[in-house]
Amino acid sequence: MNRTSIKLLFGILGAMVLLALPFLIRDRYFQHLLVLSGIFVILSTSWNFLAGYSGLLNLGHVAFFGIGGYSSALLALKLGLSPWVGLPSGGIIASLFGICLGIPSFRLSGPYLAITTIGFSEILRLISMNWVELTRGSLGLYGIPPFTALKLPGGLSIRFVSEQNVYYLVLIFVVLTLVLMHKLTHSEFGITLKSMREDETGAESIGINTSRYKLTVFMISAFLAGLAGSLYAHYIRLISPEMLSLGETFSVLTMVMVGGLGTLFGPVIGAVLLTFLSEGLRFLEDIVKIDIRFIIYGALLILTILFMRNGIVGLFRKAGQSDSGRPGD
Amino acid sequence: MESLFVQQIFNGLIVGSVYCLIAIGLTMIFGVMRIANFAHGDFSMLGAYFSIYFVALLSGWTGWIGSLVVAAVGVGIIGFFVERFLFRPLLTRWTDIDIIMVSIGLFILLENGARLAFGTAPKMISDPFGSRSVNLLFFSTSIIRLLCFLFSGIAIFLLQLFLTRTKMGVAIRATSQNRSAAALMGINISFIYSLTFMVGSALAGLGGVLYGTIFAVFPMMGAMPTLKAFAITILGGMGNIRGAIFGGFILGVAETLGGNYLSMQYKNAIGFVIIILVLLIIPHGLFGGKQRT
Amino acid sequence: MAGAVLQGVNLTRWFGGLCAVKEVNFEIQAGEILGLIGPNGAGKTTLINLVTGYYAPNGGDILYQERNIAGMKPHTINNMGIARSFQIVRIFPKLTVLDNVRSGLVDRRTRSPIRVALDSILRSRDSQMIGRAGQARGEELLDFVGLIQYRDELAENLPYAYCKRLEIARALATEPRILLLDEPSSGLNPKEQNDQITMIRRINAKGITILIVEHVMKVIMDISNRIMVLHYGEKIAEGTPEEIYRNPKVVEAYLGGETSAQG
Repeated sequence: MNRTSIKLLFGILGAMVLLALPFLIRDRYFQHLLVLSGIFVILSTSWNFLAGYSGLLNLGHVAFFGIGGYSSALLALKLGLSPWVGLPSGGIIASLFGICLGIPSFRLSGPYLAITTIGFSEILRLISMNWVELTRGSLGLYGIPPFTALKLPGGLSIRFVSEQNVYYLVLIFVVLTLVLMHKLTHSEFGITLKSMREDETGAESIGINTSRYKLTVFMISAFLAGLAGSLYAHYIRLISPEMLSLGETFSVLTMVMVGGLGTLFGPVIGAVLLTFLSEGLRFLEDIVKIDIRFIIYGALLILTILFMRNGIVGLFRKAGQSDSGRPGD
Repeated sequence: MESLFVQQIFNGLIVGSVYCLIAIGLTMIFGVMRIANFAHGDFSMLGAYFSIYFVALLSGWTGWIGSLVVAAVGVGIIGFFVERFLFRPLLTRWTDIDIIMVSIGLFILLENGARLAFGTAPKMISDPFGSRSVNLLFFSTSIIRLLCFLFSGIAIFLLQLFLTRTKMGVAIRATSQNRSAAALMGINISFIYSLTFMVGSALAGLGGVLYGTIFAVFPMMGAMPTLKAFAITILGGMGNIRGAIFGGFILGVAETLGGNYLSMQYKNAIGFVIIILVLLIIPHGLFGGKQRT
Repeated sequence: MAGAVLQGVNLTRWFGGLCAVKEVNFEIQAGEILGLIGPNGAGKTTLINLVTGYYAPNGGDILYQERNIAGMKPHTINNMGIARSFQIVRIFPKLTVLDNVRSGLVDRRTRSPIRVALDSILRSRDSQMIGRAGQARGEELLDFVGLIQYRDELAENLPYAYCKRLEIARALATEPRILLLDEPSSGLNPKEQNDQITMIRRINAKGITILIVEHVMKVIMDISNRIMVLHYGEKIAEGTPEEIYRNPKVVEAYLGGETSAQG
């Protein structure tokens, strides 16, 4: 059919562009932004899984990001473990913390859950600032080793210090994340989550153990966020408690809302857009000498919710169909 | 040792009284309109800045007291516009999440707008009494702090009068209990919404001046009061004003004692710990309805 | 008792100072349609909530499949084979009609959420009830309740009477042995009521035991094998429709005109 083959064509073209991108645009700063975008795509997608598909408002999500980053960094710095071990470990440790937030979510909803999650991330941030023996407090951790080089058969080895190579690494994880998301949402698991989001009482009546599903969602979401944190730590190689600040959560929020809550590509568009926008604004700030970046974020968030509730993806959908409704497939 | 402890309790009560004001505003708004306003503390911040500029105009204790009024009225008016253009359109259209998001957007906007407008350096509301303190029976405190406590008390008292003795106040309470019944009784819900939000914001503004007097005034000061106000309202029950008063004092005292005897750095965490503990044990659903016991 | 598929023993439930269900003993026989009636506030919905796990009883037991299911969670009870509909319908508004039913088809009886997640990742669209099998079975159920033509419609766009049918179809998707219907006829006009009587009979014909709470006398008298009457939380009568109809205690309980005008 026509639509499918067009989609396929776009998909293949898009993939080719993505693969060739670092060679097409060689500016290192641009590549750096690509890497950051990729990491934020994973983070945003993980938040979207919670809030968009499952209706669980987690305003402390960066806690998982920070836990992943700090765990991975500490494992490398203090125990000398390879970052390749730290990567999944960061995810798993974050996932365990995901259980901590998952449990309150059984009985709390809306603002109550929101405020509890904020409390969680703030407590963690305070810990990371004050437990100086472990985290060096506000100074943060520096000198985090990059991903160790992979040795290929034939004598070549790939190092992960340059933006270009890390880009491909991150790209792989982005693709894996999106595939995972798609499979989870367009399946029995997905329909179960949607049922829970629509009517929890009704969902219980058809055998859905809402508590355990919420827990599972938190664990998966936290894992992905932790993974993103670990990628971030071994790329930027310097992390601080700022990683756990509310400002970061709000960035993620804005990315997903602008892109389109509850969609697969919404977080992708939002993350890329806002990462680049943020840098663009930084230049603007230098020129205009005014701190307008976050003001624009705030305004963007408000305007999106008032006028563009389903984000950019929603706008495209509206153009294609007659009904727009809430987060859907 | 003993008198230090008592001193701390009174310090806690003073701080708590300010928390009460801010929390009452939040809980009123939530009770009537079910809006969880994450930018509530920023209204306090605005109130504090109102005060700074007013006190610069008219100094001395008259200036300070005058600034209380200016802050309350000014923030109340801002609240009117925020409610009308930001929250009102959402109340019928979308879900809880949207309202929270918008208030977060407002929070980001206000905080950073304030940074832009006022600069990041903390300012002090000049103490008209020059930090003179007074010695009462069991404790001593600066005159200005005592006045803060006093004015909090007055504000709370006036609010209670308003809510119980005036027609509009009763209408607000009715609406918070049962909106459709209130509407059927001829109460203009639209008007009540505006009024409630204005009063709640005005209280936040007023609390902001007091908060700023006791601590300091800077653009990011709104976040803590917001979160603490949430802690208090959750402790006392969302929508429950008496609970907010009760909770405010508890938090104030707990924080002061905790800060002194446990750890200064984690002082602010006490509020969060309270929230989490309370919510884990008694979530808001008191009357479960169809929920399982 | 032979043939009893569910048994309530001395069930009691308080709400504050009010006793909603007071030491109620009852049995549902396998394959029957048991009607449950009583004036407003008699405790009928509470009883359903007790059986389906939405409330835990303050006293008494509920015996099903040789286990006491009192106090179990709703999802556990559903996975054991008891399904329900709600007095105020609780369908999933933003899902399509077909998806509403398919959500009930997912096998959660034997699989934990993590298992479901893994199955979803590894087998995606073909994964059991969401693939072709689910499509077919879902359509079959929709056809059974007469909603097949709306399969791609958003559930929130359906008229109320159809939503009730959808909820029943969804409950049937969970392959229950017992189906508890809470006032399925409320809000229906006489023609719709007749259609519903037919549908309930057809469900029963498939071997599903039914407990139906109803205010509309016509429906319940017509359809029930036996009827149980609650009043102020207590069981005051039990028997065939004719016996109940003539029972003086029942007549007295209703003598306040609380019966539905359509009855």
